[in-house]
Amino acid sequence: MSGLFIQGLTDNTGTGFAIGTALASTWFLLSPSILSGAAANVLPALGAIAIAGLAPVLLTKYHIRQTTSGRALSMAQRLSALDRHAMVNIVNDKHQLTEVNDLLLEMTGYSRRDLIGEQVLKLYDTPNRALALQIRSSLQRGEMWQGETPLRRKDGTMIYTHSTILPLFDSKGNWTGSISVRTDITQTRQLLADRDVSESLHELRDDIWIVRAESEKFTYVNAAARRRLGWQETGIGAHSLGDLAHQPGGKAIRAACRRMVEREETSTQFEETLFDLPFHISIKFLRDEQDDARFLIVLNDISDRVEQERRQSEFISTVSHELRSPLTSIKGSMGLMLSNATGDLPEKAVGLLEIAHRNADRLVLILNDILDLEKISAGKLEFTLDDVDMCELVREATEANLSLSERFGITLDIDCVDEAAIAVTTDPNRLMQVMNNLVSNACKFSKPGDTVTIRIRDEGDNVRVSVRDQGQGIPVPDQHKIFQKFADLANSARSTKGGTGLGLSICKAIVQSLGGTIGFTSREGNGTTFYFVLPKGHIKKEETSSEPPLRVAS
Amino acid sequence: MIKLLHVEDDADIREIAHLALGLSGDFEVVQSASGEEALVAVQDFTPDVLLLDMMMPGMTGRQTLERMRLMPELAETPVIFMTARAQNAEVEELRNLGAADVISKPFDPMTLGEQIKTTLKAFA
Repeated sequence: MSGLFIQGLTDNTGTGFAIGTALASTWFLLSPSILSGAAANVLPALGAIAIAGLAPVLLTKYHIRQTTSGRALSMAQRLSALDRHAMVNIVNDKHQLTEVNDLLLEMTGYSRRDLIGEQVLKLYDTPNRALALQIRSSLQRGEMWQGETPLRRKDGTMIYTHSTILPLFDSKGNWTGSISVRTDITQTRQLLADRDVSESLHELRDDIWIVRAESEKFTYVNAAARRRLGWQETGIGAHSLGDLAHQPGGKAIRAACRRMVEREETSTQFEETLFDLPFHISIKFLRDEQDDARFLIVLNDISDRVEQERRQSEFISTVSHELRSPLTSIKGSMGLMLSNATGDLPEKAVGLLEIAHRNADRLVLILNDILDLEKISAGKLEFTLDDVDMCELVREATEANLSLSERFGITLDIDCVDEAAIAVTTDPNRLMQVMNNLVSNACKFSKPGDTVTIRIRDEGDNVRVSVRDQGQGIPVPDQHKIFQKFADLANSARSTKGGTGLGLSICKAIVQSLGGTIGFTSREGNGTTFYFVLPKGHIKKEETSSEPPLRVAS
Repeated sequence: MIKLLHVEDDADIREIAHLALGLSGDFEVVQSASGEEALVAVQDFTPDVLLLDMMMPGMTGRQTLERMRLMPELAETPVIFMTARAQNAEVEELRNLGAADVISKPFDPMTLGEQIKTTLKAFA
């Protein structure tokens, strides 16, 4: 095989290069600045050997003829070594491949028939063809080209080579093509990339643990984790997840890992306290080709975020409470005046005072809703469960809204098919909050003379409560945002009818926290029905899943 | 007449409460602007009921109550807290301190007197 190659080269004689050794030394000196890491040590030497090995070949057959048989043998051995080490190809002045060595065929998966006579561009994939053209223009200027050339294998995969490409000229100085010597650096690149990843992991601010799935023994911890754990670099393998199980976070991580194995889950994440700090913990369950299962556990210290959330929450809470003192004075003063505690007032003044008083009430409601929403987003909404009769609760909610319904000229109608009690374990106060919201909304969005129907249905394990109005319905474009905060921002009815714009998003959070669902049906011009379905036996959200609790971003 | 000591740092709220409690004519009201002032006031006035604001500069409502409880004549006096932080957890905390009732701000001046009388009846 190598005989063919040598024959090929001797056919391309007439080249006038005698710079092989010089090129080799240039390559050896320059290439470390191009490369880095292990490649910087290995590739220059290999490249120099390759170039130095080629140079005598390029010194034409004239020289070969002048050699003694012993020197020819030495040359053949050197060429053979080169041939085995590097991929070599020769291209003619029409950029067609005229010679390729066996290693190039082996590495690219092509046959000689596939390549000979083909444009050299065939070896480059489309994104790298610009590079090939750039190399070509260097060569045509008579310049040697060196650099990284990604080649496309026959099967479409890539092979990364470091190439030295020399232009070839005939005795008259005409450009006749080029010869390329390429070294496979795919693996080197991979090693460098792996080393970079490994170094990055090690220097990462987050703590990284790698733990064997079966034994739960540590196989790796990065520098940050080692500092935190206080472990020596050697002997990490002696530690297991069990060593940290006395802490809430350690216990949660071990439980999560075991659950992932059981359920064949590949990833999970949660927040827990470890080393007295809050962490966001992300676990990936990895299996390699040898079926060696490990957990990659990444711990991100979220102290700053938690502190920021705490401050924000405290700020909202303080502002809301601070506003209550002036509101107490405003509302109290107006209440006393309206009750004639300060003597009779002119009718117009009473009208204006009523407006002010009503809006003060509205401000109080908004403050209450903001506090509730703040608690919902912090996961601190409080629930007190009790056994209640849903029919009774609905009747109470209806009574509580009687004055409002009268003000809007609405009739409230309760439709409870079975008068028997429907026992539900739930938080009656929070549910009353939901009912008040739905019933008062229905009243506000109805026309005088309309009826709002509150219906209760026993659905076996669940109870369904719906509130139907005969209003204008919710326009289709607005329906998707109906449970969002301030969804009715554009609706002028809110300011005149006294809504806060937060009620439905609070209702949704409450119903979901009580294990139920909430929704609505609406047709424009044909009224809206809001409903919620609750399980009769309360299911805490946490009990539906054994996942560690996740903080819910608002 | 029910002798009531109202401790509240906000002068406007003191005035409104004074007017509100004066409507029924059932209360003899003494008001203090701070816990420290209240401790002086009780030297000459032994109330039947304490109406304490929680959040005050200086001594809080809780600290004021603790000091008053050390006085034999006030050891058993029913206390009603008034607070802007009337969330479930806070209310429960105040109940645990022995509060007969917790009134949230803003309160309704028209029903304040009745509410206090109802609480006292239940407490008796």
